[in-house]
Amino acid sequence: MGLFTRSKETAPCTVTISHRFEELSAHVKFNNGAVVHPGDSVQVEGPEIMAPYGVCVEEQRIATITRASKIERLWTRSTGDFEFMELCEFSFSEGVLS
Amino acid sequence: MNAPTHSAFANTAEEAIAAQDALDDPMTSEKATEVAMQNTLLTPRFYTTDFAEMDAVDVSSVREDWDRLITQMKSDPNKGHFKKNEEWDTVDWEGMEPALKAEFIDFLISSCTAEFSGCVLYKEMKRRGSNEDITTLFQLMARDEARHAGFINDALREAGVRVNLGFLTQQKKYTYFRPKFIYYATYLSEKIGYARYITIYRHLEENPELRFHPIFKWFREWCNDEFSHGEAFALLMKSDPKLTESFGNKLWIKFFLTAVYSTMWVRDHQRPLFHEALGVDVTWYGQEVFRKTSEISKQIFPMTLDIDHPRWRKNLDRMEAASRQIAAAKARGGLGGMMSRLGGMVKAATAFVSVFTIPAKTHRVPTSTRMEPTY
Repeated sequence: MGLFTRSKETAPCTVTISHRFEELSAHVKFNNGAVVHPGDSVQVEGPEIMAPYGVCVEEQRIATITRASKIERLWTRSTGDFEFMELCEFSFSEGVLS
Repeated sequence: MNAPTHSAFANTAEEAIAAQDALDDPMTSEKATEVAMQNTLLTPRFYTTDFAEMDAVDVSSVREDWDRLITQMKSDPNKGHFKKNEEWDTVDWEGMEPALKAEFIDFLISSCTAEFSGCVLYKEMKRRGSNEDITTLFQLMARDEARHAGFINDALREAGVRVNLGFLTQQKKYTYFRPKFIYYATYLSEKIGYARYITIYRHLEENPELRFHPIFKWFREWCNDEFSHGEAFALLMKSDPKLTESFGNKLWIKFFLTAVYSTMWVRDHQRPLFHEALGVDVTWYGQEVFRKTSEISKQIFPMTLDIDHPRWRKNLDRMEAASRQIAAAKARGGLGGMMSRLGGMVKAATAFVSVFTIPAKTHRVPTSTRMEPTY
């Protein structure tokens, strides 16, 4: 990780999707213990994944982690808080519908 | 589905087509329904926090209340609640007025996204932590959120809406929040969620003829889960007194209260048909939800907002008008649109400052945060 430069790495990951009545959830777990830091981006490679209804699927995939530069990480750490409303989950979506 | 069998991993175009063909079963009526379903992309949020700080939380000062709460959550009182039984009556989707249907589906999708995002966040915390108190709590909360999301998803499917988890393979950028921001925001979201659901539930108990969808019948037990999650965040804050006692943090708390209440006011007022169909006066509803949330939040926050102050409602209405102006200006575009948008933002900010500067009501916080859902 450079001061201004981003770097890329790949990590094997397990994607688990539960698309069942009793549970709707989706999680990505890096198998090699890779950790995501502020400002990093993650992309799971390959086509879209969707479990059919009533099924829980697990797929092994490769994820590309784009590591933020030092500056970017610092910036995200110090400004991320401004997006705090993202943390508030209630009520309707934003904006007028009709 | 393993890597080699998927078209994306094929080496040649022929292999890719063959792999794709192998996946295509004959069209069944069930599949046709799937295809015809309206697709809605779930867009949960992704963020990181200072997991080391969170992991270092020591709940020993609130141990008794903590253990009681965890035991209660482990006993899973709502395990059997989220099942469709004879109470789940048929919904007349065809007969529902399209504009009301749009608002109601927006309600279901927002709720589903909220539960889903909560689940992603809680699971991540569980995974990154090693402190058993913390990981147990987050695992239990992730369980509830995933269950709620599944239940709403089923209601959406009945309405012909299919959730799309395409976000999983899209590039996601992770932002950062300090743990205390997560505590304040999530605590309030859970408690205001409880107040919102229970207020509708009690209203429909008195006016059952207005219940236009069976999901409302499930609200009471459902919001008890939200209540418990809020209890957990109250205890987390209680374990570190400076989170609610220092001058700076008190300002943050007031800020979060103001932001959450005013956002709810603006968004609810922009869904008039939903509230009209339930026979709920949206202004009354807002104030009632604030009153309940304030009463509950006294368990941990040293202040409540003065929602009866003359400046309160006037400026919330101004914020709502400003939000409409901004949306209209955005749609209009051009230089005029930009100016109008800017004007709207200034109006919204002025109104927010006016609300934020209303003196808060302070009070003494009880020694124990413990509370039961009694509304």
